[in-house]
Parts: sequence; structure tokens; C-alpha cells
Amino acid sequence: MLYSHSFVAVLFAAAVVAGFLGALLGVGGGIFIVPALVLGFQLPVKIAVAASLVSVIATSNAGGSSYVEHHITNVRLGMFLEVATTLGALSGSVLALYLREWIMLALFALMLLYMAWAAFTTRHLDDARIADGGFADARPDRASGALALAGHYHDDALGREVAYVVNGSAPGMAISYLAGVSSGLLGVGGGVLKVSAMNRFMNVPMKAAVGTSKMMIGITAAVGSILFFLAGLIHFFIVAPVALGTTAGATLGTKVMNRMRSAVLKGLFTVLMLYLAYGMLARALALRFQLHLPNLGS
Amino acid sequence: MPAPGNNDRNVYRGVHRVLEWGMIISTVLYGLGVARAWPHPPWISLQAPFALSLPAAARGLIHLDATSLMWTATVLLILTPVARVVVAFIAFWQERDRRFLAITGAVMAVLVLTVVLGRFGLH
Repeated sequence: MLYSHSFVAVLFAAAVVAGFLGALLGVGGGIFIVPALVLGFQLPVKIAVAASLVSVIATSNAGGSSYVEHHITNVRLGMFLEVATTLGALSGSVLALYLREWIMLALFALMLLYMAWAAFTTRHLDDARIADGGFADARPDRASGALALAGHYHDDALGREVAYVVNGSAPGMAISYLAGVSSGLLGVGGGVLKVSAMNRFMNVPMKAAVGTSKMMIGITAAVGSILFFLAGLIHFFIVAPVALGTTAGATLGTKVMNRMRSAVLKGLFTVLMLYLAYGMLARALALRFQLHLPNLGS
Repeated sequence: MPAPGNNDRNVYRGVHRVLEWGMIISTVLYGLGVARAWPHPPWISLQAPFALSLPAAARGLIHLDATSLMWTATVLLILTPVARVVVAFIAFWQERDRRFLAITGAVMAVLVLTVVLGRFGLH
């Protein structure tokens, strides 16, 4: 195919949007990049997954460095959960090298549907718990206490310091492992699962969970990227505009994120996930059963 | 809630710097790579494997070859979070925080296993 100016420009623009949305929602942008490359640019899913993994590292560096600088990230918590996510990413990327394309697409659609549900059902959780001090009053579990995983950050939208105690380490580790599997298998950072694990089961406020996830997705995606790189599946000419675009989008999105309310972020996220899930599922059904669902523009 | 101690300040500072510089260097190299390909758009194959040897990449870099620039940017980008883990490991080592030394050590062990599997175990 010709590496034309319009191809590069559209790829870059799509990546800017993906990086921006990814930063707002604490995900690597891979959740948008893979569908964009597969549905919009008709690229094979494994090339899309490989390119997406590298772009996830780019957004993690861009967004992650800012969150770390402002101490929104809980570095200790992130490092603790990274043991599980990197192991999961290794399992997932080994699996990805051998799975059929339609199965990967169907799994991707299922993951999007779960993410939509998880975001929608927790959209008002944070504001209420921050207001009544629920995040700070919880009891730490044994691992959290021993590793000093509690944290705090300044919430610009609320104009106050938000402290929280971490608990639920066991379910947090288990879900982080699954997040790693999804990362290696499907080319995403696994950020939504990590944010969901921390926010829902570990008593971490959404924004701290987003900042911590942002740092973690880099190393998680690096594991998959190393395997895909050594397997010769990373297409440098595709990755370059995608990584540049996601970096630009993530840098911008990170600046906006801390000024927005969690409920707004999660509502936006739900709608996008449902739309992309439909597109990926339609593609999987077309590949496996030659069943063509109506095209909704994806 | 106490502010982060000296230990965590070192970790936060080190992690922030590695991520920031990784982003800057890889962005510049990717930008140069795309800029070099821009005047004469090449035909690209979608047939894997996409690979370049280290000596070939080094030779290409001297001539600002687009593929070599993008290859180098990709390698550096992948290595950035790895370097971040190493920096955190060193910071925890300096502070003699054995628990987090073990935790970051475990992550490094997974990375080594990944390279070994990718290089020798999956073909």
C-alpha cells in the first residue's frame, strides 16, 4: 500500500483523538486505536494490536509522567499491581500469536461491552464517596497496610485534597492479571480493567486510579510489545504516526482530565464503548459466519 | 495523610524523568522518520515479519533513513517503561525498602522471561 500523505494524516488524526480520549478515561487509547486500524484502515488485527501496544506505551509516557509529577499516581500501588499485570500480559501476548483473527475480534467486543457496563454502573460512585469521606475512612487490608499503599491527591475539579485507604488487594491483583491478559491479547493497556479494579474493589478514587493505571499500562504494554517486536509484527511505518498522534492527544487529554467530573467521563466512555463493540462484533461475525450486520459508520 | 517521604520523592522524581525523556526522544525520532518519508511516499508491505537488524539500523541512522529512525524510536519507546522499573528498583535499593525491592525485582524477572521466550521459545 502507498504510504501517502493523506494516509499518514488521517492515521495521525485518528491517533490524536484516541490518545485524547484515552487520557481522559485513564486508558492507553488502544481501546480506540485497534478498532480504528481494523475498521477504518482495514489492517490485519495482529498488526493493529502490535501498533496499538506501542502507542499505549507512548500515551503512558505522556500522560503518566504528568500524573506522576502531580502525585495523582500512587506509584507504590502501581508497582504492586504490576507484578500481576506483567504476568498477565505475557500470557495474553503468547496467546495472541496463535489465536485466529475472528476470535480476537469477538473477545475485543466482549471486553468493550464489559467496560461499558463497568463505567456506567459506577459513574456516580466517586462524588458521593469523596463527599462523605468514604475513601479515607475504609480499613486497609494486610498487604495494603504492610506496603503503605494509602495515598492522597489534590482534585482540581473539587478544589480539595482527597485521601484514601487501599484495601481489596487480592481481587485487585486477580483483576490486574486479567487486565494484563487483555493487554497482551488485544493490544490495549488494560487500563479500564485496572481502573475498574482499583475504583470498585480497592477503594481508590477514580482519578488516582486513572493516574496509577496510566503509569502501569506502559510496562504492561511493553511486555506484549517485546514479544510482538521479536515476532516481527510491529510495522514501524504504521506505528510512527499512531504513536505521535496518541502522544499529542494524551498530553492534551491529561491537562483536561483533572478538571472534569468523573460522572461525565464515565458517561462519555460508556457510549463510545458500545459503539466500538458493535463494530468489532460485526467484523468478527462477518469473518467467521459471513453474517453482515448493518453498518453504523464504523 | 502524610506527604510522601524522601524515599517516595526519589521514586516519583526518577519515574517522572524517565517517562518524560522517553517520550521526548521517541517523539523526535518518530517525527524525523515520518518527515524523511514525507517527500517521497514509499510503498509499504503489510506482510510480516517487519524486522531490522541492529547494525542495519545503526547504518541507517547515519543517513537519517526513515525505517531506521522509526525502528530506533520504537525500541526506545518499548525500553522506556522498562527503564522506569529499573530506576524505581534502584531508588528502593538506596532506601533499603526490601518489600518493594522484591516487588520491582519480580516485575524485572517477568521482563527477562518475556525476552527469553520471545527470542528462543515461541517459534
